[in-house]
Amino acid sequence: MKGESAIKSRQGRGTSPLPDVRGYFGEFGGRFVSETLMSALLDLDRSFKKAWRESAFRKEFREILADYSGRPTPLYFARSLTQEMGGAAIWLKREDLNHTGAHKITNAVGQALLARRMGKTRLIAETGAGQHGVATATVAARFGFDCRVYMGSEDIRRQALNVFRMKLLGSEVCPVDLGGKTLKDAISEALRDWSRTVQTTHYLLGTAFGPHPFPLMVRTFQSVIGQEARRQMLSREGRLPDALVACVGGGSNAIGLFHPFIDDPSVRMYGIEAGGRSISPGDHAARFAGGSIGVLQGTRTYVLQNPDGQIENTHSVSAGLDYSAVGPELSYFRDSGRISFDWVGDDEALEAFQTLSRTEGIIPALESSHAVAYGLRLARTMSRDRLIIINLSGRGDKDVVEVSRLLEQKEGTS
Amino acid sequence: MTRSPRTLPRWRRGISPPPLIPYIVAGDPDLETTAEYLALAAKKGLFAVELGIPFSDPTADGPVIQKATQRSLRHETALENILAWLSGIPEEQLPPLYLMTYFNLFHHMGVTRFCREAHRLGCIEGVVIPDLSFEDGILYRKVFREHGINLVGFVSPTTGMDRARRIVKESRGFVYYVGLMGTTGSALHVTDETRRTVGMLKEWTQLPVCVGFGISSGAMVEEILQFADGVIVGSRLVQDEENPTKWKETFEEFFSAAVKGKG
Ligand SMILES: Cc1ncc(COP(=O)(O)O)c(C=O)c1O
Repeated sequence: MKGESAIKSRQGRGTSPLPDVRGYFGEFGGRFVSETLMSALLDLDRSFKKAWRESAFRKEFREILADYSGRPTPLYFARSLTQEMGGAAIWLKREDLNHTGAHKITNAVGQALLARRMGKTRLIAETGAGQHGVATATVAARFGFDCRVYMGSEDIRRQALNVFRMKLLGSEVCPVDLGGKTLKDAISEALRDWSRTVQTTHYLLGTAFGPHPFPLMVRTFQSVIGQEARRQMLSREGRLPDALVACVGGGSNAIGLFHPFIDDPSVRMYGIEAGGRSISPGDHAARFAGGSIGVLQGTRTYVLQNPDGQIENTHSVSAGLDYSAVGPELSYFRDSGRISFDWVGDDEALEAFQTLSRTEGIIPALESSHAVAYGLRLARTMSRDRLIIINLSGRGDKDVVEVSRLLEQKEGTS
Repeated sequence: MTRSPRTLPRWRRGISPPPLIPYIVAGDPDLETTAEYLALAAKKGLFAVELGIPFSDPTADGPVIQKATQRSLRHETALENILAWLSGIPEEQLPPLYLMTYFNLFHHMGVTRFCREAHRLGCIEGVVIPDLSFEDGILYRKVFREHGINLVGFVSPTTGMDRARRIVKESRGFVYYVGLMGTTGSALHVTDETRRTVGMLKEWTQLPVCVGFGISSGAMVEEILQFADGVIVGSRLVQDEENPTKWKETFEEFFSAAVKGKG
């Protein structure tokens, strides 16, 4: 069992030294923001690194995740689903069982602790699916911050339940009517707010995206997903998984699961983007399929843009994946070949949404349904002795109204 | 048409132009009108014009410029097409130009390619890129410099002293002092701190130190010119951009304030 103990002793921390001091993962990342925001970012970078070195800070973070959010989340063997697919064993990392219903709360807790240390009194956030908005509104209530959440008006329509939750939690929800009226436009508005209010306000960015240090910080907080999954799989099966699958919006649930396995060459990783209606401009959010390197909202990364360099609008059935750019660290690992990327379209995601509900009694978020759909594809091609972990990033309560509308629409047209 | 590149800023060549830099969104409402505005600025001998190239996601801009950007955003006003368009305008109808837009457009065209073409045009004195931070600029400053394109440095009220000193040292063309915290179009209130900071910047550099963001009246222009070398007027002019008669009126107001303020 020498090999296994060697694996265990690495503790699943991941040894990647990136990003560098300027916030670059190879050629991706940076801090492409206006000068007004730079002092806040430099401050945040210093505060985060200092806090994370302190065991008291990490301890408080861990305790809140345990008592308040219910960590560790289970790693669940999906027996019926595995049988139905007839291939690799499918395990679900149950991030949907977190307080507020998705992995987003982990990052929100971490950043709220940091904002409090930095003496900020107000939080702002962007949200697509509303899960990050709810997570931010939740920590704002829990720690006593004022809070405003920017949300595209199209997303406000399709994620109405989460809008109500945010209001109930005492946050203001600010509709954004610009551009495609989705996540990208909400981020722009949050950046504008921040440049007016940076002295009192912390921008609680919800994914491993944006200017440095956000990609590093969000990944660090979310890595608890992969650290737990690694430990859990080793204790249940005595070995590492063969494949990991996660959906990719900005990339926080994906890099959170993947990062602790980055230095385990036997573990294959699949990031799944939203294929929407088709891979043509405006119809999808598969940045690695239809994008090229550009600079958007603080970072150099893969971006969906037209031949003039203007950012394309996107479409996905899931608001949380409906975004024109992707986190810089994922771009780096994509180009290095460490992480594979593929996409799943609206229809296949909707199908997986129903399949998981029926076979396992778990209603996944539409975002997570993209990972589930791909995981099912993958399982069928792998032998029974193989192990797959699918990151079930969130639960689907927020989506049931929209899904029922879409399914009725489909029945109407077929 | 070939032009001699302006290797020295005009103010160093002993010309003392009116210290007003109007911001004009290219193609709002159409390129003919933009050309008319530029010709007027050239005739008045302004220090420079900031010519805004519309970008789909203007994160540093407030509602007025966002709307103008949306109005003018089309293939015709893409960065490369604007360069081609400028090459067809007679030299005497163009003021010294600073192209202002977000970094993705330069990145997408290729910074080196952009610089080569801009240099060849001659009318482009420099670039103003709000989202190219001092740190990320390290990778690109050299390229702009090698082609004689001025990359303007930004200083804001949140910039610390040491940092401001470094930014000013690397700045070319002029120094852009963002007078307020926020996006374009918020209201600027000139404070003692504004005066003090601008005074400090002037001690550190030979370049003109210009104040922008939130300047909305001639009176404000006069007030700022008591301590700054120049003013940049954005949203207040852009607001009238669709209506040439109104724009010219507003422009005249700012222009005479600038002439008066300088005296
Ligand atoms: C449940 C769920 N999964 C995934 C995502 C996508 O974000 P990320 O790529 O940061 O994990 C979201 C975003 O809103 C979400 O709500």
